[in-house]
Amino acid sequence: MFPKKFNKPPLKDNTSFEKVKLMSENSNELVVNPAPHIHGPMTKNRMMQYTFFAILSTLIVSMVLWSQVTTPSGWNLGLTLAICTVISVGLAVAFDFLIGKVASDSEVNTWSAAVFGLIVTGCYTLGFPSMAIGAEMGVPVEAPLAFYYVAIITVLGLVVFKKVMGLAGRKFVNPAAAAKFLVLLPGTAVTLLTSWHSITGMLSVPSLNGPIGLTTIVGSNGGGAGYPAFGGYLQSCYQLPTSMDIGTPESITQIMLLTKYHGWTGGACSIAVIIAGTALFILGRKYFKWRITASFLVSTAVLSLILSVAFGDADLIARLLFELFIGSSIFMAFFMATDPATTPYSGVGQIIFGVGLAVLTVIIQTFMGFFGGSLLALLIMNLLTPAIDKIRINKPFGR
Amino acid sequence: MANLVHIPEQKEVARKTPIEIFPDPKIAVVLTNQQSGATNVPLVKVGDVVSIGQKIADVQAKVSAPVHSPISGTVIKIDNVYNSCFEYPTEAIYIENDGKKTKAKPLNTIKESELASTKNEELLKIIREAGIVGMGGAGFPTSVKLAVPADKPIKHLLVNGAEGEPYDTADERVMIERTANLVRGVRVVRKLLGNPKVIVVTKESKVEAVPKLQEAFKNEPDTEVRATHLTYQQGDAGMMQKAILGYEPIAGKRSYEMGTIVQNVATINAIANAVFDGEPLISRVAALNGDIPTPKNLMVKIGTPISEILKANSITDCGSVVVGGMMMGVQLATLDAPVTKRTSSILCLNKAHAKARKPTACIHCGRCVSACPIRLQPVAIYNAVIKGDFKKAEKLWAQDCIMCGTCSYVCPANLPLASNVKMARNSQ
Repeated sequence: MFPKKFNKPPLKDNTSFEKVKLMSENSNELVVNPAPHIHGPMTKNRMMQYTFFAILSTLIVSMVLWSQVTTPSGWNLGLTLAICTVISVGLAVAFDFLIGKVASDSEVNTWSAAVFGLIVTGCYTLGFPSMAIGAEMGVPVEAPLAFYYVAIITVLGLVVFKKVMGLAGRKFVNPAAAAKFLVLLPGTAVTLLTSWHSITGMLSVPSLNGPIGLTTIVGSNGGGAGYPAFGGYLQSCYQLPTSMDIGTPESITQIMLLTKYHGWTGGACSIAVIIAGTALFILGRKYFKWRITASFLVSTAVLSLILSVAFGDADLIARLLFELFIGSSIFMAFFMATDPATTPYSGVGQIIFGVGLAVLTVIIQTFMGFFGGSLLALLIMNLLTPAIDKIRINKPFGR
Repeated sequence: MANLVHIPEQKEVARKTPIEIFPDPKIAVVLTNQQSGATNVPLVKVGDVVSIGQKIADVQAKVSAPVHSPISGTVIKIDNVYNSCFEYPTEAIYIENDGKKTKAKPLNTIKESELASTKNEELLKIIREAGIVGMGGAGFPTSVKLAVPADKPIKHLLVNGAEGEPYDTADERVMIERTANLVRGVRVVRKLLGNPKVIVVTKESKVEAVPKLQEAFKNEPDTEVRATHLTYQQGDAGMMQKAILGYEPIAGKRSYEMGTIVQNVATINAIANAVFDGEPLISRVAALNGDIPTPKNLMVKIGTPISEILKANSITDCGSVVVGGMMMGVQLATLDAPVTKRTSSILCLNKAHAKARKPTACIHCGRCVSACPIRLQPVAIYNAVIKGDFKKAEKLWAQDCIMCGTCSYVCPANLPLASNVKMARNSQ
């Protein structure tokens, strides 16, 4: 049906295409574009709108849940999150518009900028484990310092990582992740390395690099590898600060699935993230890279079960819950790892990406004592994406 | 095949509209080249009087097909006009209609009862002299396609009645209204190919055509009518072999080497007309559709200027006119362009729909990769082409592209993926 070559007959004289066009009295208004002449319903704007409302809904859930908490500096945590959201989205849209005005070849893409703003807030760490650390060390985990940091991350990410990197033809790293990492690098070292968590002496901070148990109650002292009090740690860091529950498997499951306080703002309610993310993947069927999320979650679960058996944990649940449902992992898996620009385009590549991300995340969190390591893992995998894109498993039709 | 993209058919009204005979044009503009293969030269000169069915352009070459006069009259000029087959102007013979309808000597014909005893060479000669080319859009001379070497046995003949292109209904109406003629045509092709198994492939959505075909082909030997769910992309010959027979034809090989010939219903209709009635290919059914109130199926003379068809149907505010299908067709640079043997449809887009979609930056979503029916990576080929790296495009198998246009259709950034891949493909 489709011969390999059309043998074009030669022109009789040098009549050019334009000349013939002018010769015709009917031609002056006709539009000529290459095939196809119809287009599917999906556009970039619509993709971004879907993503915007999915992330916004998870952030609203977080705001509602967190409105019960008052931080040591006297701010309502839910209100803090709402203000952060307004700041990041407003600044992102405004800077996108301004850059579009100044640089004529830059696309003004309001919805994309708004999504970027939401992701900046969604991956920001508000009220990190033991807000007392934040107060003591001057780490921006609370208002009003958090507002300035969110603003800096938004502007840096939009200008440097979204616009300037876009000039190079494609983005190499997730703009929100890269900007957060750059700005918070000093703070990150303080707050994310687990050994720092016990600095005030009120936390029992275990390492994941050893057996984990659920037996110890909140407030008991300790720390270091092998300490079987992970449940106590989860309880003290992730539950409502005023409640004094004892670390039972049931209460920890409830915390990790329903209401985490502190940590990544986007991942406060794991169930909300899962519902919003799944709805997004169903709405924008085939346009969103759900394979990354699926393969990441599956491999993380498998890896944590393997580690649980290897270390001889008291039960298989604690480690699994932590690896899968901690705010950084769950929010990143659905909304940051699936960022189209910085991830592979083939289905096989996406699965490789998801598995690689899971392996790096688990390794960083387990052996480097660096909770929230998924962000670092994401940046590493983003940089590997051009290489993953070269992997070609299925050959074309009939080859 | 779960990854094939469904494209809305948009055929509700047109598929129920009977074929209407469009009056002969006052001036027929017959392009001397409507086939792929060797270049024809005119056999007439200005001032000559020609009659209906007279051969007016031909060349002595293996891969070639002549062109015939659709009307009787006088040759008034030979000039270049926009040719929708090649997307640029080529030589055309202008014939002024004298209204006498004088007919030239018909082709040699054979009686239906004599078909079995007729030599293949004789049948192929009739098909060549009738100027029949692939009417699905490719324009490959049918006499060459059906001249299968004796050492390559053909196991299957697929009669392609899928007509996946949205808006196109010409083939569907032919299947409904010329069913008996199709049966005759299939007998000829089957005889030529050494009695292979015949599968008439059509879509289950063609509710009127399916029972008619089943009824007509009921008593034919070794013949099956298969009405299945086919997507637009499965109207391609290679994709159809995968969908119906379950194998992927090896890329770059002629279709007979896989033991299967796929032939479009419009072509089979033309073969029956030529072999039994002595009619050369001077008219065809073309759908008139798009953003117009009354879609039609027109039996139109090849060489009728498109502007005349639009005028007769009082279509005035066209932003653009597409011939040959919304997905693979060509937007005309001028309405002076005539109907060709490959013009399966004439589709008008209103000014809002015709407006060019502005391409934006690629967001790397990979939708084109998952949508490509032949598993290419359109975005990778596109990036190679815009850098001018045609070697890389070849490594990415750009030459295998079937030009279905699905990648551009699904692209959320409106990138002209299909046209760039086509550029790489045609540069090989």
